[in-house]
Amino acid sequence: MATNPFKITLLISILSIAIALTLIWGTAQTAPNLIRYSTLSNAPYIKVDSINVTSNGVYIRLALINNGSLVFKPTGGWVEVVDTGQVVNVTVINGTVIAKLPLTLQWVSLASVGVKGIVSGVLNGSGAYIAFFDVVPIHVINTIGIADVSYADCVLNVTLSVDTVVPVVIGPIINMSLFTVSTPGYYVFETIGIINTTIYAPAGSHNVTLTIQVSPALGRYTYVYSCNYLSGFSKYTLWLPIGVTYMYPTGNVTSYTLLTKTFVVGGGS
Amino acid sequence: MRVEALLQFALAIAYVVLWVFMPAWSISGANYSISLTPWGYVVRFFSETHVIPPPTVYAIWLFAIGAGLLPLVWRRSRYSLYLATLFSVISLSMLMDTILFQQRYLQFHGYTIAPTPNGYIYVSLPAKPTLGIPTYVLLALTILSIFNMVTRARWLGTRVIEDPIVAVERVLKVLHIEYSRVEGGVKVGGIKIIRRDDSLLLVNDHRIDEVDLGTAITEAVKVGLKQPVSVGVVDYGED
Repeated sequence: MATNPFKITLLISILSIAIALTLIWGTAQTAPNLIRYSTLSNAPYIKVDSINVTSNGVYIRLALINNGSLVFKPTGGWVEVVDTGQVVNVTVINGTVIAKLPLTLQWVSLASVGVKGIVSGVLNGSGAYIAFFDVVPIHVINTIGIADVSYADCVLNVTLSVDTVVPVVIGPIINMSLFTVSTPGYYVFETIGIINTTIYAPAGSHNVTLTIQVSPALGRYTYVYSCNYLSGFSKYTLWLPIGVTYMYPTGNVTSYTLLTKTFVVGGGS
Repeated sequence: MRVEALLQFALAIAYVVLWVFMPAWSISGANYSISLTPWGYVVRFFSETHVIPPPTVYAIWLFAIGAGLLPLVWRRSRYSLYLATLFSVISLSMLMDTILFQQRYLQFHGYTIAPTPNGYIYVSLPAKPTLGIPTYVLLALTILSIFNMVTRARWLGTRVIEDPIVAVERVLKVLHIEYSRVEGGVKVGGIKIIRRDDSLLLVNDHRIDEVDLGTAITEAVKVGLKQPVSVGVVDYGED
């Protein structure tokens, strides 16, 4: 027996244990260089697309921006308007994220608001939350239109549908006319100048009626061709340039707008 | 070569081959997963894939192969079985250390947060840790090598020998008795043991006796012990 197997075993054991310990130590030493830090790049995010202030409420529309290969599908979430303190859950309709807030007095005096929130959803099959904060200008949407027109015995009744955020004073009327839709067209009446008829409408959605006695007494250049609709004509257009004064808390703003309405009288065309 | 030692070798090879195809340890999830392969940790994060090779990962399979191969290469001393057990235990420790490496450096809390132009995105990435089949094979290898060490790789017991001549030969081999093979039997010194059908014949100088296996062995050993002692190899025979 040339060598003692016990000695060989002892030697190899010590060697292999030493190798193992060195490897453990070496791995711990090199670990910071071995590992990599990865983070999501081009991750999808949420941007506040628009804020529309209407008499029905404030609509905040959120845009989802998927600019990478990762696809985010929104499922819910909430937004908070920092300036008014309103918090509301969002609604997801066909991938569009919309939040509807009640209209409060503060809104009419704001030019832009800070909106923060979280939209939850699914990113490539994993649950995800996107937090965002944006400062966005607000769009106040006021609409005034002619709902209905009637003219009889030289009295013109115009029903206006008023849909505004703030109370408005409608009037005066400048250069109004009613004429037939035909070739050639005929005037029923025509005024040149200002008719100082005004009507008040509170904020919100309302119908108000303007009643105007059309007669030369309205002004020097008022031409009344008929006190009723013209016989043989059923389709008319009312041309109603009008001033609208919006009563904002910060002050009144007057703007002029042209309201027109083409309507059919009776059953004919 | 003992079947027990071959079995140990087979387990070691099965472990390494299996490991090539399935992870020994993994943390699996939808967009994040870690799997331990023989060449390191394969980390998948969304569309990215990285291989992180901690040095201990190579020691795992090198020591495992050593634990399987050693009892075949070094058969003279039972110390080879002791050393093989040490190797399998080191292999297992290296595996545990590699798993600890993941717990320490490739730690994952189940989510990721990334900045966006006007905020941040939080992605929940739940992951489930699993021990793979190769790890269980390595565990079996360690247990088997300990068992082989304790029993000197003899736990399968005495093999049933069909041919009585082979039984005689084995006894002679163990005792380092020189013998030669003759047609139908063996020749030890002046006697021959020959098999005929179902009986054994003891052929002496003068006579032929029909004997049982025990007598045949006794007679062969008696003659054999008169030989000068020679040195032979007995598997794991020495202390």
